[in-house]
Amino acid sequence: MTAVVTAESVVDALPDEAHRWSIGAFAPVIGIAAFLGLWQASTWLFDVKRFILPGPWSIVVHMADNPGYYLTNARTTIWEAFLGFTLAFVLAMAAAALMARSRFLERAGLPISVLIQVTPIIAYAPAIVIWLGPGLRSILTVTALVCFVPFLLNGIAGLRSVDPLLIELARSVDTSEMEVLRRLRIPSALPYLLSAAKINVGLALIGAVLGEFFALTSKGLGYSVKVAQARNLVDQLWGSIFSLAIIGSLATLLITGLERTMLRGHASQRT
Amino acid sequence: MAAGPGTHAVSEAPVSGDSLTSASRVPRASAANGASVSIAGVAKSFRTRSRTTQALTSVDLHIGKGEFVSLLGPSGCGKSTLLRIVGGLIDPDQGAVTIEGASPHAARSKKQFGLIPQAPALVPWRTVEDNIVFLSTLNHRAGQTTLPPDQIDDLIAAVGLTDFRHAYPHELSGGMQQRVALVRGFALGAPVLLMDEPFAALDEITRAGARYLLLDLWSRTGATVIFVTHSIPEAVILSDRVVVMAARPGRVAAVEEITLARPRNPEMEDDSAFHDHVRHLRSGLRDHHA
Repeated sequence: MTAVVTAESVVDALPDEAHRWSIGAFAPVIGIAAFLGLWQASTWLFDVKRFILPGPWSIVVHMADNPGYYLTNARTTIWEAFLGFTLAFVLAMAAAALMARSRFLERAGLPISVLIQVTPIIAYAPAIVIWLGPGLRSILTVTALVCFVPFLLNGIAGLRSVDPLLIELARSVDTSEMEVLRRLRIPSALPYLLSAAKINVGLALIGAVLGEFFALTSKGLGYSVKVAQARNLVDQLWGSIFSLAIIGSLATLLITGLERTMLRGHASQRT
Repeated sequence: MAAGPGTHAVSEAPVSGDSLTSASRVPRASAANGASVSIAGVAKSFRTRSRTTQALTSVDLHIGKGEFVSLLGPSGCGKSTLLRIVGGLIDPDQGAVTIEGASPHAARSKKQFGLIPQAPALVPWRTVEDNIVFLSTLNHRAGQTTLPPDQIDDLIAAVGLTDFRHAYPHELSGGMQQRVALVRGFALGAPVLLMDEPFAALDEITRAGARYLLLDLWSRTGATVIFVTHSIPEAVILSDRVVVMAARPGRVAAVEEITLARPRNPEMEDDSAFHDHVRHLRSGLRDHHA
């Protein structure tokens, strides 16, 4: 009798499992498809002129007709965003390690990071270009600046998130500060840093595009947007926007995947 | 033997007339694995901006090799502070502690302390097995200090976690997590075990079982144990001697020898000897905290 009940519940559980999976994998795809479909349908329905707002289908067709142009510019922007993101990560982690150790450094450093965060980057980006000159250096600085604060704040919180009892245990066997950092603090900070990385994917792209706007460069999707606006090239404008959206989405997916594999067994993966 | 300046012993052991000697208290052959701990004239105060709190004042205590000693008292009597001073985690203002003649810092650098904290404090991203040997993997300079693998397997089996070796802490109940923390404390093979209310977070039923598990693990290793608790029955059933501490300022108020035979078992909790000890300690605590 019990066996029958168990068998039944297993059979019951199967479609349930499949159901959950379909929600996880299909729902987002359906959401995006519905959004694009509605957009496409309304451009037809209300007869929106192509030079006002093209439908997504014609944008995709335009991109497929000029794959080289978008790939080349995408490569430039991805490289700038990646370098700026990495630079911010390295600098912010060094600062976070110091600030997590010393309340004084934290108090002294946080106002600077708040200033960086509350002052609109778009206002001081031209100043950075004047200071550092046109080209990659300015673009990287702008990108690193926008990514710095999320990495810093999450880094400090993450490095501090270790159970104090665990730190005392490590001290009870005379573990050095460096080893505590390496074996306990950095692994504890991982979930915090991955959350920051997800925020920073979008911010790095903003930084790179903004940098291209001001840094008098002639490459990248930001430059492509600027040219498209100046010459009223609506297809190119939307092609560049779509490229950026695709890059951002793929990078976010990459980090989510990284999160899943790296945090297996991590307490934060509990729901 | 434990009484020194500033301490006075409880008048007499309440039950048996023949007071046990230090040697007969610890009959296990493995007792040589432990280390003796001497505490002499230890005082410690903590300063905050507004005032100074005298956490401990002139504490003297000698703990023999392989002895199980409980520090019993209400919160604020400095028992956890004393434990940390012995472990070299806090430095005393006055006095000294020696572990087999060495300073706590020297003993700590040789990984001679197995600390079992109030909460399990397991590494969340490590399995049960990895958590148990985690302290052994820290501070490699100190050399290999872990128990041999088969002995660790025995400890894991003794606490019933063999099937959970590859589980992560969040997959375990609170009681199971605390058992992992117990085994982790023993797995270093350290001669001195420092336990800071390790069962405080457990429910009473789990806690009762955990005490005998602890005694079982201890009897396999013969380490010296200093066990901080505020539970009188717990102190009685576990210990060779119970050190009663009083607060404001923190000090040793009395030391009571526990005359129950080893190995201890749950039936002893119904013995009159057990109840006499409990009653005696309770009145002792009351006298000092009235």
